[in-house]
Formats: sequence, C-alpha cells, structure tokens
Amino acid sequence: MKFIKEPIKNGKLWIVFGVLFLLSVPWYLPEGSYKPLILGIPYWGWIVLLVSLAFSATITYAIKYLWITEGDDSNYKEDE
Amino acid sequence: MTGELAFGGWSGVLIMVVYGLIMLAIGLVTYFKNKNIRESNQEYYLGGRGLGVMVLFFTFYATQYSGNTIIGYAPQGYRIGFEWLQSITFMILVMVGYLLFAPRLYVLSRKFNFITPSDWLAKRFRSKSITILGSLLMLYGLGNYLLEQLVAVGQGVSGLTGGTVPYQLCVIFFIVIMLIYSWLGGMRSVAYTDTMQGIALLFGVFILVIGSIIYFGGLPSTADYMAAFTPDKLGVPETSGIVGWFSMLVLVLIGASIYPHAIQRIFSAKSEKTLKNSLIGMAWMPFVTTGVILLVGIIGISAFPDLGEMESEKLVGMMANAIASENIFFYWAMILLFGGIIAAIISTADSVLLTFSSVISKDLYGRYINPKATEHKQIFVGKITGIIATGVLLIIAWYPPATLYEIFVLKFELLVQIAPAFILGLYWKQLHSKSVFVGMLVGTILATAMTFANITPFGIFSGLWGLFVNLIICVIGSLLFNISKVEEKETDKVIGL
Repeated sequence: MKFIKEPIKNGKLWIVFGVLFLLSVPWYLPEGSYKPLILGIPYWGWIVLLVSLAFSATITYAIKYLWITEGDDSNYKEDE
Repeated sequence: MTGELAFGGWSGVLIMVVYGLIMLAIGLVTYFKNKNIRESNQEYYLGGRGLGVMVLFFTFYATQYSGNTIIGYAPQGYRIGFEWLQSITFMILVMVGYLLFAPRLYVLSRKFNFITPSDWLAKRFRSKSITILGSLLMLYGLGNYLLEQLVAVGQGVSGLTGGTVPYQLCVIFFIVIMLIYSWLGGMRSVAYTDTMQGIALLFGVFILVIGSIIYFGGLPSTADYMAAFTPDKLGVPETSGIVGWFSMLVLVLIGASIYPHAIQRIFSAKSEKTLKNSLIGMAWMPFVTTGVILLVGIIGISAFPDLGEMESEKLVGMMANAIASENIFFYWAMILLFGGIIAAIISTADSVLLTFSSVISKDLYGRYINPKATEHKQIFVGKITGIIATGVLLIIAWYPPATLYEIFVLKFELLVQIAPAFILGLYWKQLHSKSVFVGMLVGTILATAMTFANITPFGIFSGLWGLFVNLIICVIGSLLFNISKVEEKETDKVIGL
C-alpha cells in the first residue's frame, strides 16, 4: 500500500498546528486580566476555545484530505 | 451539605448490580457468538481486526476518557479555575499526536500483522533489548493507568454513596465483572461494552452539568463569585503556570497518543476508512467531555468554597448528592450518572487490562520466555498475569499514594520515552538501533530520578527532560554511527512505503 498523501509530509499543516499550539496558551495576554466576561467565561477563555475549535477543524481536514493511500477504501460504501 | 446522603443504599446497589449484569450479558453473548475467540491472538486481542466505525469510535472514546476525566478533572478545574481549559486543548492534541504516526502504523500493522505495539518495535529494530525495554515501559504506563482507574472507582463510589455501599465491595465487584467479560470475549467484549459505557459516560456528563447549572447557578454567577473571592482562578494564569501548561501539552501530545491500548485500537480497525472516521469523531469529543467537566469544576468553586486538596477530590460526588436531593428526576438522573462514572472507569480499565495482558503474553512470554507456546497458551498466561497484576494494584489502590492528577502526570514520564523509537522509526531509515536503546534507557533513568527528586527545571516536567535527552542521543547517535548495508536493506523492506 503506497501513500498518495501523508499528513506528516505536509509542511503547511504542521505550520498551522505550530501557530495554533502557540496561540492555545494565553502567554501573549496580560497576566491576571479577565474582563470582559462573556457568559461567565473570561475573554481569554473564549480565545483558547476558538483556537481549540480551529485545531479540531484542522485535524478533520487533515484526516479527510491529507491522509490518502492507494488502498484507501473511502470510495466504497462502509459495509457494516 | 457534604455529610447528607441524598441517595445510596438500595438504589446504589441496584444500579451497580444492573450495570454489572448488562456487562456480563454482553460478554456472554460475545463468547457464544465467537467460540474460537481464545485460540488466536488476533481474535482475542484485536477482535479479528473487524471493528466498525461506531464500535471503534466508542472504544477509542471510552478508552481515552477515563474515570479520571470525570472524577479527577472537575476537582482540577475547581483548584486552578479557567487555566484548566488546557484539558480541552490537550485532548485535541492527542489527535494531532495520532497524525504523526497512525496513518503509517495502520498500513504496516496490516502488512505485518501486528498484535501489540511491541510487535512494531520488534519488526523495526530486530533488537531484543529495545523490544523488552519498550514492553516494560508500556507495562509501567498501563499498570499506572489501571491503578488510576481503581483509585477512581474507590473515590467515585465513596463520594457518590457517602459510603453506604462499602468502597472495598464496589471495587472488587467491578473488577470481577470486568475480568469475567474480558476473559470471555477479549477485545470484542471490551469494545462492545465500551460502546455501551461510552454512551453512559456522555449521558452522565451532560446530566451532571445541567443539574449543576440549575441548582448551583450558571457560569455568570460563578464568575461574579470568582471575581470577588478567587480572581486568580479567573484571570490569565501567571507565567509559571503557562510554562507548565506548555510542557503539559507537549507531554500529552506525545505521551497520550502512544498509549499502548489506543495503538491496539488502530490495529483493530476494520478498514482505513473506519479508522479515519473514528478519529475525526474523536477530534471533536473534548468539547463535549472535558469542556463540560470543566464547567462542573468551575461551578463547584461557588457551590462548595474553600475545599482542601484531598476534600476537593470528592467534588463530583458532593455535587451529585446535592443535586439528587432536589427532586425525584435528578435523583434518578444522578443514579444514572453514577452508572456513567463507573462506565468511564471500567471501560478504560478493561482496555488497559487487555493490552497489559497482550504485552505480557505475546511480547514477553510468547517471544522470549516460551517461544514454542501455542497462541491458546499465550492468551491463558496473559489472563493469569492480568489477574495477578490487578490484585497487586488493588492492594496499592487501598491507600492511594497521591491525588489522581499527580498519578496521571507520573505515568507519562516514562511512557513518552518510547516515542522516539516508535515515531522516528516509522520514517527515518538511518535510525541506529543501539542509539535508540541507549536513548530510551538514559531518558527513563533521568525521568525517574528527576521525578523522585521532584526536580522540574523551568517548570517543565521531568518526563520531557528525559525525552529531550533521549531524542538527542537517538539523533546524534544515528548521525555518528552508520547502519550496515544489510540493516538498511531490512529497514527498507519494513518502512519503504
């Protein structure tokens, strides 16, 4: 079975992951700040949540479109 | 409020018994449907490599999200506040970790019929020392993980029933149930019971958060309380906390994705499409699991203020008891949550135990101790050692050595040391096996010594320091010492995709 596309070999994907990783921890925001609070969650919490959503979306994209082998059976209907 | 007992007694016993009977029934049905299951490692440990999307997804889910996710993460959220948002990120990063190796490892597992993660190490390096050391590190990680589940059962049950159902009785009851259904049906039983338990876990988590919001107030009121009394749990964490956050994320990215029991699930997938779809589903589960659990911990800050560290470990039980005493609907909903928590614990424990047995039976016993043993005998040895290991861990669980969170961090320290061999080995043909072994050994010794001496320079976990040194030895050793032509040819046969 040969790889047509393999996630680990896609440089852009890992750059995106790297940027998201750095953004996922609020080191770039003023220590101790929490205002505005939106629905009881501090503003920086929302930023971390949005970055996490972007992470999940990128993973989904990578699995769907960057992980393709010769033997990939995604063209066939799941037989279960 | 903590001393009041809202439920327990017969209703607690009832849910335990019903839950146990359902699990046993699944084990029995699997056994009668697949009678030759215990004659072949592939059938017993990988369910015949036939797990479809739904079962594979739920067995991944129930395996990855353990009892610790509910019982340990809510108190951690309680103690450090919104900083525990990292629990969402790191569960997502586990999936990023998979992308490093799962596609290639799946293809190789089909090509060479891998049963255990050590099969990969043995095939790639053809080195007894790497395979044995790798297997021992996996056994340590798995044993630690199993211990964590036993402690969670104890704390969960004592918290939820206020001690009405004795701690010891519950732990032993569920261990016996788990051993019986695992014994009967191997991976098939484990995966089918995981499916039911995964659904129970999801249901339980949602009921708990809804109850918490209704009876203790939602996030806005808790945030007001936090702003007035504990602003440090609300604000952007201090720099020291942030370094720890980064190092925790890296540790989990590498450590949790190479959980041996998770890797065995990659081997069990029916097809590549099945595996891909299950992993896509898993990429979104942190929001509805650890995210929701974090809310429970945060709401607990205003509902039960000023709990000490060990007291806060029982937060979920305290909240469930308080919610259950409000009305009959939540009384029964909390009884079901009780089932969900047990499900989360047992479903992780059964997966860990099965992999633990497979590493002993196939990698250590079948490969080195008695290579002539039939697969039936290997499986039998795995089961017996699994029972003995569970017994030993049970004795340790009687007196939990640390908080659940500390136990959780500890197991990663050593497990991550197999990562360079495991991941670099997939792609780098020049990887030098002796350097890999030395790196793994030095990394293990360093991480262990630093953990025991409690040394964490720059707030970075000792496991990461061990991994760093391990990686340097691996890479520099491979650059300095060339592998032989014969070795290169052999390696090309394995990973030359």
